[in-house]
Amino acid sequence: MKFISSDAIPELLEALSASSVVWAPRELTGSGGTVMFERWRTGDPIDLEHFSSLSAKDVVLPRTEKLFGYTYAFGGGLGGAFGNGAPAGEQLVIEPAEPAPPAVLFGARACDAKALDVLDALFNNPEGEAYNDPQYQSRRKSLTVITLACTTCDEACFCSSFGNGTSEKAGSDIIVYPVEGGLLAEAVSSRGEALLAEPIFEESEQAPPPLAETARIEGLERLEEKLPRLFDDMDFWQEISERCTSCGFCTYGCPTCYCFNIHDEMRSDREGERQRSWDACMFALYTQETSGHNPRPTLAHRYRNRINHKFSYYPENQGKILCTGCGRCIRGCPAGLDIRDVLRAALEEAPREP
Amino acid sequence: MSELVSDIQKILGETGLVLGWAATGAGGVAAPERFHTAEEAEAAIFDSTCVHNLAVHLPRLKARAVGIVAKACDARSIVELIAEHEIDRELVKVIAVTCPEMLDVKTIWRRHGYGAVIEDDGGELRVNGELVDRAAYTQAKCLGCEERPSASISASVRLQLSEDFQIMNVEERRTFWREQFSRCIRCHACREACPMCYCRDVCIMQTSDPHWTGGGINAGEAEMMQMIRVNHLAGRCTACGECERACPVGIPLMLLMEEQNRAIYEMFDYRAGVDPEAKPPLLTFDIKGDGWGEE
Ligand code: SF4
Ligand code: SF4
Ligand code: SF4
Ligand code: SF4
Repeated sequence: MKFISSDAIPELLEALSASSVVWAPRELTGSGGTVMFERWRTGDPIDLEHFSSLSAKDVVLPRTEKLFGYTYAFGGGLGGAFGNGAPAGEQLVIEPAEPAPPAVLFGARACDAKALDVLDALFNNPEGEAYNDPQYQSRRKSLTVITLACTTCDEACFCSSFGNGTSEKAGSDIIVYPVEGGLLAEAVSSRGEALLAEPIFEESEQAPPPLAETARIEGLERLEEKLPRLFDDMDFWQEISERCTSCGFCTYGCPTCYCFNIHDEMRSDREGERQRSWDACMFALYTQETSGHNPRPTLAHRYRNRINHKFSYYPENQGKILCTGCGRCIRGCPAGLDIRDVLRAALEEAPREP
Repeated sequence: MSELVSDIQKILGETGLVLGWAATGAGGVAAPERFHTAEEAEAAIFDSTCVHNLAVHLPRLKARAVGIVAKACDARSIVELIAEHEIDRELVKVIAVTCPEMLDVKTIWRRHGYGAVIEDDGGELRVNGELVDRAAYTQAKCLGCEERPSASISASVRLQLSEDFQIMNVEERRTFWREQFSRCIRCHACREACPMCYCRDVCIMQTSDPHWTGGGINAGEAEMMQMIRVNHLAGRCTACGECERACPVGIPLMLLMEEQNRAIYEMFDYRAGVDPEAKPPLLTFDIKGDGWGEE
């Protein structure tokens, strides 16, 4: 193991920011104690004590990102060919998005890091496979994840329901353990090893502290089979979602929710940007079709999708549960809805194995 | 059996559905619950963690008879919904409860850990067994509540904040809000928690036709979005505080609402949600009763 003293952490972040964008959790001023992952700049405090209100997913899935810029070079008419295949001399000029700079995520928790591993299954596949996302990939490939192991947890945490819980290493490059006077550091990837070879880290014989044991829900993997059989039971979905007000918090705070909207932002009638931004399946407009038809017309339909996507569709298609038990949707829901109650109800309600 | 439970059971006989609270919420506090039968109603509670304004559910249920347990500020929202003809007065049965001043559960949990055990006997407030200062954990809206002037607390923290705010010049205010809105994630929890925001799927903060706001999540769009939200609540906001409570990133939205409510009161002598027969001022433009001088 290596060791870094608390005093040396700003120095480390400073050194890392020379070549990378550094993200770290910080309590925002005037925000009533909201902790978020923000871009770290010299002098910024960091908060390694509280759980962040939102996950760290901005690091790979920004709230809003540019996909490309476009300009009608002359004429300005909307005629002619659209897209990159436009012959020379045509009006449309596409300006690709700048490549993402290398980044370091400092102070993520095991549930945040694991979420990256879960998202990789969809976004980070080899070229030629059905799903791969160049913007996600370029960010992910140049990202170093330094995860803070949890020695305490709270009532909303249930990461132990998903494999290794607080000792999860998936998605991380380095795990740091809080100890007297600083952090113990353990490399869990070759990238992590290279970073820990830097002289700012000292050798240490200390043993890491015991990690927190969170609450556990057994059998969540059974939901992949059971939820499809509950699909048409609208009374069930109505009942479990009735206190929900259909906002986007549980989705936007979640480290694994990745739905997005693609939209054009025009600066004038000749130029603008195509952007991708977060979207949430809990919004009524999410599946609203131009015809006026909405295949998920009620809140219960939308909540059903949220649960099914995480515990049935994604496991079926990507082989992983789209939840890491971070508890953010529970801590932040303005209506007091607890996803664990829903999961337990679904496990009980689903018909027994044939 | 508590009086509340028997009241709910009585109303259930007329409506078949009552909106109330039970101790089933995340973190071990109260959360909204729907009661359909006398047996279900036995779980009903009312205490200082029943923070939610249940009137937000009424527009979705407007086709049917429904009972609702309401604090004084929630009742104002119900009155305003009736005044706007959004819900039918005949179909809504209100069970009024005397408010013990609501706790700021979010702040308690931020300081004492999520799910910390809250014990409130009406006098002493304990968190995880430790005696704490009630005033520090009472919701700001309750400190300044006109419906139930507080016997225990005189100074209004919120009013102080808004006085500080009033001496800021326009540039300082812009800087203040830019910084606040830079962390807005456009989750629309402020809109969804508001009983008066019932446009739902045609809300122009999200539609692309008309295209008043872009799709991006940034301070500029958030500012535009709040300008729309706040203006659409002019003369309609009942100061229930739910928008601010729901905001997951702690944006002090009530500063905006209170400033506007004050302006509406000064200009139109109007407070929303007081009189179900009243015509909201932006439907009449009747400034201090002078009218437009036209018939
Ligand atoms: S955060 Fe709560 S109220 Fe908002 S959509 Fe999710 S479950 Fe519903
Ligand atoms: S669904 Fe909730 S508990 Fe699961 S990863 Fe998302 S925010 Fe965390
Ligand atoms: S704007 Fe805020 S304070 Fe006003 S009625 Fe809506 S939720 Fe309540
Ligand atoms: S609740 Fe807060 S973060 Fe969400 S849209 Fe409203 S102001 Fe923004």
